[in-house]
Amino acid sequence: MGGASARKKKEKKKDFQKPKLKVGKAKPKATNFTDTSFKAKSIVLTQQSLSANAPSVAAQCSHHLSMLTHKSDSQRKESLAYLTTAITSTRPGFPLPQPSSIILPSVQRLILDASNGVRQQLLKLLQSLPKNDIVSHSDQLLLHTRAGMTHLATEIRVFALDVLEWLLGAAGDEVVSCAGGWVKMLKCFIGLLGWQIEVSGKWSAPKSFGKAGGDAKVQVKQMTALTTFLRVGLVPSRGAVPVEVEGGNFPLWQAGHNSLSQRSNAYAYLNLFGASRDEEAEMYEDREDRQRVFHDRAEAAIFAGLEQATKGGGELGRAAAQLRKVVREGMADFHSEV
Amino acid sequence: MGKRKVGALEKVDADLANLQYKVKRDPASYRDDFLSQYSQYETFKELFMQNPSTVEDTGLVSLKELIEFVSHCADCYPDITAEFPQDLIKILSLHHEELEMELREKMVGSLVLLRNKDVIDSSTLLNTLFPILVTTPSKSLRELMFTKILSDLKSSNTKATNHKLNRTIQTVLFNLLTSDRASPKGIWAVKITRELWKRQIWAEAKAVEIMKEASLADNEKVITGGVRFFLGGDKEREEAAEESSDDDENIDMSKLRHQAGINKKTKKKERQLKMAAEKVKKKEKKKSAPHPLNFSALHLLHDPQGFAETLFSKHVQNSRSKLSLDSKLLVLQLVSRLVGLHKLTVIALYSYFLKYLTPRQASVTSFLACLAQATHNLVPPDVLEPLIQKIANEFVSEAAAAEVAAAGLNSIREICVRQPLAMNDTLLQDLVMYRKSKDKGVMMAAKGLLSLYREVGAELLKKRDRGKDAAIGLRTGEVRERRFGEEEAGEIEGIELLEKWKEDERRKKRIEQGLDPDAPTDEEEVEAEDWKNWDVESDDSDSSTGWINVESDGEDINISDSEDEKEPPAKKTKLSSTTPGADGEEKENISKSEEPEAKRISKLATTRILTPADLAKLQELRLASSVTSAMPSNKRRAAMAARHADDPLTAAEIEAPGLLGKKSTKEEKIAMAKGERDEHHQSTTAKRKEKKASEGKSTTNKEKARKKNFLMTLGKAKGKQKRSLIDVKKTLKGHLDRQKRGGKRGNQGH
Repeated sequence: MGGASARKKKEKKKDFQKPKLKVGKAKPKATNFTDTSFKAKSIVLTQQSLSANAPSVAAQCSHHLSMLTHKSDSQRKESLAYLTTAITSTRPGFPLPQPSSIILPSVQRLILDASNGVRQQLLKLLQSLPKNDIVSHSDQLLLHTRAGMTHLATEIRVFALDVLEWLLGAAGDEVVSCAGGWVKMLKCFIGLLGWQIEVSGKWSAPKSFGKAGGDAKVQVKQMTALTTFLRVGLVPSRGAVPVEVEGGNFPLWQAGHNSLSQRSNAYAYLNLFGASRDEEAEMYEDREDRQRVFHDRAEAAIFAGLEQATKGGGELGRAAAQLRKVVREGMADFHSEV
Repeated sequence: MGKRKVGALEKVDADLANLQYKVKRDPASYRDDFLSQYSQYETFKELFMQNPSTVEDTGLVSLKELIEFVSHCADCYPDITAEFPQDLIKILSLHHEELEMELREKMVGSLVLLRNKDVIDSSTLLNTLFPILVTTPSKSLRELMFTKILSDLKSSNTKATNHKLNRTIQTVLFNLLTSDRASPKGIWAVKITRELWKRQIWAEAKAVEIMKEASLADNEKVITGGVRFFLGGDKEREEAAEESSDDDENIDMSKLRHQAGINKKTKKKERQLKMAAEKVKKKEKKKSAPHPLNFSALHLLHDPQGFAETLFSKHVQNSRSKLSLDSKLLVLQLVSRLVGLHKLTVIALYSYFLKYLTPRQASVTSFLACLAQATHNLVPPDVLEPLIQKIANEFVSEAAAAEVAAAGLNSIREICVRQPLAMNDTLLQDLVMYRKSKDKGVMMAAKGLLSLYREVGAELLKKRDRGKDAAIGLRTGEVRERRFGEEEAGEIEGIELLEKWKEDERRKKRIEQGLDPDAPTDEEEVEAEDWKNWDVESDDSDSSTGWINVESDGEDINISDSEDEKEPPAKKTKLSSTTPGADGEEKENISKSEEPEAKRISKLATTRILTPADLAKLQELRLASSVTSAMPSNKRRAAMAARHADDPLTAAEIEAPGLLGKKSTKEEKIAMAKGERDEHHQSTTAKRKEKKASEGKSTTNKEKARKKNFLMTLGKAKGKQKRSLIDVKKTLKGHLDRQKRGGKRGNQGH
């Protein structure tokens, strides 16, 4: 009856009892004590750089190369800018801080980058690279350029034309003769300009999707690019290699023909390891082949398209005239042969 | 600012979904755009194929999106996209291991989409997916493939059974199993077949054949998969069918229509009503559709004897088989089930059991159940006798635990139900003594054995144990021991009653006509009358007026041989060595007959077609004579008959009497009463709140306002009362204004 039981009282009291301290003994631990000590074989501080001297240019370049996939536009742009200055500041004759074979594969994806600034910076970087290094990567670059040319966004399509012009300037011969470089590019151009023969039968000219604004301008640009492309592919280069004076190295006649080619992957046209190619993906290495294929697949369409473009007059007409001139020039000997 | 604008522009330009929408509405006009996107896709694909394992995240559009776009538009431009499905198939089958996961799933999804758009056919799709399912190391991909394969098979079988496709897939599965018996890949054949069997998409012998091959495989998982199918596949199918049929329980259309008239009309409500109407219509249609005839897998087996023999010798008897005890038991269950169901002869099986019949053997009740299941009336009794002796010695003794003894007795009973001849009199009399046991389980089991032998072999029992029925039956010679191999003749229950009734009617009729009652009738005249009275006779049986009975003789059409026709029906009796089941209603017949032990077999059913009127009369006669069927022995027999021959005998059934004497605890009783329902009641609001809380969401503003401390709201309320009229007007106006604008900030955007 009278209040809580003795047992309950005792239990309550227990919570408030003070621990007895004894001389020469460690203080007893509280009941709610948590042991926070720990043991480790080594401690690694990831945040801290322990190197005493500044990183080399090569190291910084590789860092910036890895930053090219960064999600921020400005960061990508800055990294590209850094790489550009690093390349331009190397004195001629000295090797680049990172070889082109490393720079190019990670850079080329940015042709399709969404940000305009990044793309422009990319073009600068590409232009700063030595031309000899471009040659062996031309097919890869061309693939990305073609992807850009057919992109949904007009800006990227226009930009890809700039890249193509640069590429043709740097490694024109390789571009037109690489696998798929000729026929697929022609097809791509015809598609872009809307010059397909098969759809011309329709009575209403379809308005293309996503080409609103500056349509004519873009078309002019495309036609100029096509002109350049055809010039490289069809017109024999004027500064042709002068015929070497034979007998320079006397006992070996025609040694140049028998020695291994200087180019990398000299037997690429055999296609020993890749998937089998069809006519479109085939390599067309000499001019006659290209002329033949051009005649078979594209010439009629281009002339039909030129007709329309010339009627348009103005800037468009001028570009068309240029293009016509190049085609005539390039195909002159082909038609005379036939 | 310029930067922002460019971004938005790009977004509009690069909107593949938008283009896709436009392409679908007007394919001809957007052909150029599609072409350029397709070439974009081709370029991307080429880039991608140089290094398929890369995770590409290029800018605005990725290959994944392009694939989605092209596959959605593929049906609009079949000429442009002719290569597209082949491309996807090639990439998937060559690189499925290294592809990035999302891209891979997108490719699979696109292929299925192409299939749904009829761009590719089912067999192409399945022939692509199936090899990947079997080889891929990725679990998520396997799951995806499995569901896609199943759903495709299902959808291509919805309208009508696609026999060609089914056959090709079944052949693929069959070859998968037979090409490499040791590989675990066969499990996929088992899984697919079982699932389709469950959904009644595959219900033919070929599917069963696949499972048969699976059970004969060398891989344990595949074996158990196949065996489990035979043991449980049919039950699963039945349950699935039941579930689907009571899915949509009664929809009250009139109520719904009434509600639609009263409640607010929204598009959603309208749609719901339409859906409900459709459902009801479908249900009606289903109701009138004929019931699908489904054979159990065990009955669709070709050569069950060979199957049972190989199963037994390969997995059970073979000392080199590495199956675990559980799997071995499964196989044994299947073998014994087959033996029992098809009455097969696998003599080695019985001696195999001898080793395992000890109480210390793990899961011995399963072995006992298997043994009982494998017994049928064509098993030689001398094979079974040592087994029964062993069970009696090992299980049933004073020293054994009560549950053990009960299980032993029960299993002996189960064996003897199927083959009564396996018992000898000394052992039986010994075992029957256990009915005096103190333990309830043992006592009940022994009683069960006793009552069984009162019916099937009373002479083995001591005279005082035989009971009244059996003793009388023995004395009159009605109850006789069945010999080995003797089969009960098939018959229609009560047919002799009908025949007798017909004979009486005929005699009455002839007497009325003033003819000799025992002379044969003219059959043709009878036949003509019979067709007239195909169905009408039903009320006629009740009426006792003599002149209506005139016709009743000629109810049957005679289709028998010519010799039979010449004989009068009264003389169609024949001595027979077989004894039909000692049904109660036959007693009447026997007492009147001159040869009581050799019963005549009614020829009625073999010589004439029974009309519906005849069947009705038969039913009536049966009911009239079924006074005897209310007796307990008959009830027991009915219970035995109700148990389907296809149903298995389980270990639980063997153990059942042992549990009789056990007292269950309170918790067990409560759990039993509750059953499997474990949900506790909760209001809808409480459920919603709980769901919100579990999603980590907060409460609504309303909720917060409601929960706010009363004292905190006082100040505001007071202030409201003291406002001037102008202030009140301002607030009200402000409220209206805000509502118009759509909130404080409005949604015009700034």
